[in-house]
Amino acid sequence: VRGTVPVARRQLLAEPAKLTVSVLAIAASVALVLLLTGLRQGIGAQVTLYLDRQPSVLVGQAGAQNFMAQASVLPETLGQRLEQLPGVASATPISQEFAMLTLHGRRVLPLLVGSDPGKAGGPWSMAAGRRPIARNEIVLDRVLAEEHGLGVGSVVTYRGTRLRVVGLSRGTTAWMTPLAFATRSTLNALDRRPRTAGFFLVRPDKGVDASDLASRIEGTVPGVSALTRTEAAANDRKLFTGAFNGILLAMVVIAFAVAVLVIGLTVYTSTSERGREYATLKAIGLGRSALLWLAAGQAGALALAGALVGTVLAFAGVWAAAALAPKYLVNVTGTSVLGMAAAALLMALLAAFLPARYLARLDPAAAFRR
Amino acid sequence: MSVPIVRRQLFVRKGRTLAGVAGIALALLLVLALRALLAGAEDRLTGYIDRSGADVIVAQQGVRTMHMTQSVISAPVAASVASVTGVEDATPIVYVPATLARGDQRALVYLIGEDRSADTIPLSSGRRARNGSEVVVDEALSGLIGAGTGTTVTALGHRFRVVGQVAGTASLASSIAPTDRTSLGRLTGNGANVGYVLVSARKGVSASQLASRIQRSLPGVTASTRAQFSRSERRRVGDMSTDIVRSMIFVGFLIGVAVTGLVAYGATLSQLRDYALLRALGLRAPRALGIVLGQVGALVVAGFVLALALVGTLDWLLPRLSPTLALSIRLGDILTAFAVAAAVSAVAAAMPVVRVARVDPASVFRR
Repeated sequence: VRGTVPVARRQLLAEPAKLTVSVLAIAASVALVLLLTGLRQGIGAQVTLYLDRQPSVLVGQAGAQNFMAQASVLPETLGQRLEQLPGVASATPISQEFAMLTLHGRRVLPLLVGSDPGKAGGPWSMAAGRRPIARNEIVLDRVLAEEHGLGVGSVVTYRGTRLRVVGLSRGTTAWMTPLAFATRSTLNALDRRPRTAGFFLVRPDKGVDASDLASRIEGTVPGVSALTRTEAAANDRKLFTGAFNGILLAMVVIAFAVAVLVIGLTVYTSTSERGREYATLKAIGLGRSALLWLAAGQAGALALAGALVGTVLAFAGVWAAAALAPKYLVNVTGTSVLGMAAAALLMALLAAFLPARYLARLDPAAAFRR
Repeated sequence: MSVPIVRRQLFVRKGRTLAGVAGIALALLLVLALRALLAGAEDRLTGYIDRSGADVIVAQQGVRTMHMTQSVISAPVAASVASVTGVEDATPIVYVPATLARGDQRALVYLIGEDRSADTIPLSSGRRARNGSEVVVDEALSGLIGAGTGTTVTALGHRFRVVGQVAGTASLASSIAPTDRTSLGRLTGNGANVGYVLVSARKGVSASQLASRIQRSLPGVTASTRAQFSRSERRRVGDMSTDIVRSMIFVGFLIGVAVTGLVAYGATLSQLRDYALLRALGLRAPRALGIVLGQVGALVVAGFVLALALVGTLDWLLPRLSPTLALSIRLGDILTAFAVAAAVSAVAAAMPVVRVARVDPASVFRR
C-alpha cells in the first residue's frame, strides 16, 4: 500500500494553542511592518494635499525647492510681471507657513495658507461655514476642528492674535500637516511683511507645457525659483517621508528579527520535542534532505500563515484608523503585501536553520534508547 | 539542600531559552527604540537653544518653539530687551528655514542670523560667519551633501562659503546653519526685525525672574526660560507621536506576551512529566506554580536586560551609520519598558500555569 504521511502538518497541528500563539506573534510583526510602511506612504500622500489641487507651476524666492518648510518672500507686485510673460494665464499670490497652535494642551502644526479672497489658493471644499474674507479669520480642517472640539465661531490664538473660525474645510486632513486657511493679509500682518507673497501659483495658457514655462520664468525673472507642481510635490514628499526613513528602517528590522525568532523557536521546539520520532524516521531510512524539508516546510507554513493573518490585521488596522482616527492615512499597497510575502519566505529560510541543524546532528540510534 | 529547579529547567534546552530571551528583548526593543529615537530627535531639535548659553528666550507673543515656527519681533522691541533690569546680554537672532544646496545635493537647514559678536552655540571647527557670504553648517552636512569647510553652498538664491562647523544639531530632517543676521534679514524681507532674542541674566538674577520681568516690560512678546523653551520644543515631537508610540507599546506588549508565552509554555510542556514527578514526591501545587512563574520572570528579566543592552548598542551604532539618527535613553522610557515587561510576565505565565495546575501526580506512573 502506497501512501504519504503529512508529518509536517501533523506536527504543526498537534498543539493548536501553541500554533495559534506563534501565528499571532508573526502576524503582529508582519502587520506592524505593513502599517508602518503604509503610514509612511500615507504621509507622502498627505503632504502634497494642497499642491495636488493647485495650478501646475509654482514660483518662489530663488533657491526654493520645496513648498513646505521653506522660507520664500517675494514682492506681491511680481504677479503683474509674471502675468505679462508669454504662456502665463494667471499668477496668484499666496503666503504659507506652519502655524504652531496649542489646542486643548496639545501642539498641532497645520500648514496655514494665506490667499486673497475670491482668488485661487484657498480651501477647495467647505464642510461648514464660509471661506475667509477678512483679516483674522481662519478656516480649519474639519477633522482637526472636531478632534479639538472647535467649530464655526470658535476662536484660536496664534502668535498672540485671536483668529475666528469662520469655516471648516473638507479633504484637507493630514496627520503631520493638516491644512488651515486665512487671508494673505492676515499672514502678512502676523509676519510684519506687508505687500509680500510667499509663492505665486502660475496657471499656464492652454497647450503650454508646465516644465517649459517653469524654465522660461526662471530664465527671464531674476531672483525667483520656478518649479512644476510635480517637482515641488516630489521634493516635499521626499523631505517628510525621508525624515521617517531611519525610524521606519529600525522598526522594520526589529519586527523582522522578531518574526524570524518566533518561527525558529516554534519549529525548533516542536522538532526537538519529537527528537525520538525524527530519530525513528531517520532509522527507517528517511534521508537527511527529506528531514530538512520537514523543518523547512513547517517554517514556511508558519511564515505564510503569519504573513496572511498579519495582512488581514494590517487591513483591519487601516479600516480602524480611517474610522477612529481619520487624520492618519495608512496606504497598505499590493507591493508592500508582496514584499512581505517574499520577506516571509526569507524568514522561513532563516528560521529553519536551527531545527535543521538539530535534525542533521540527530543520531538514528537514539530511537532505540530509553 | 535545595535543587535550583527553575534554573535547571531553563538550561535544559539552552537554544530555546536563548531564543526566547532574544525574542522578548526584541519585543521590548520595539518599545524602547522608538521612544529613544524620538527622544534623540527631540534632543537634536533643542541642540541650539540648549547650548546657546541663554537664560531667557524672547519670542513673538504666544511663541514658545523655534522649529517650524514663525516669530517676528520688531526692531525697536528687540532693541529694548537689553535695557530691561537684570539683562546682562541680549543677542537678537533671525531664524529662517531654507534649502541648502551644493550642486544637485540638498538639505533642509534653519539659517540662524546672528551678529558677529554673538557667542551662542560652540563651534566644533573653523570660525563664525563674519559677513553675509559666510555660513557655519553642521558636521553632518559634510557627509550628506558634501558641504565641508571651505566649500560653497547656496540658499535663498545666495552663495555662502562654509567657514565653520557645529556638531549634534542634525535631526531627522534638518540642521542649523548660523550666518550673518543683517544679510539674512535682507534676504528674507525681514529688514531689521528679528525672530528671537537670546538673553543672559546678570549675576544673582534668576532666569524665571528675568523672564517675568521682560514679559511685563515689553509688549507683544513671550519670554521663556531656556528650560521652559526646550521643554516646549520637545513636547511638539511628543504630542505629534503620542498615538504612534502608544501603538508601538501595544504591539511590543503583544509580541512580548506571545514570545514569552511560547517559550514558557514549550518549556512547561516538555517538562510536564518532571512536574508530575515533583508533585508525586510531595511538591505542593502553589510551589509548582511558583516554579513556572519563576521561569517566566527569569526569562522576562533576562529579556529586559538584553533589550537595554541592545538599545545601548543602537545608541552607539546608529549615529555612526547616519549622522542624523541619534538615540536618547531616558529613565521614564526604561520604566515604561519595565512596566510592559512586567505585564508581559503576568499574561504570558497564564498558559503554563494552567497546564501545571492540572498536572495529575499519578501520571508519572503511567507510560
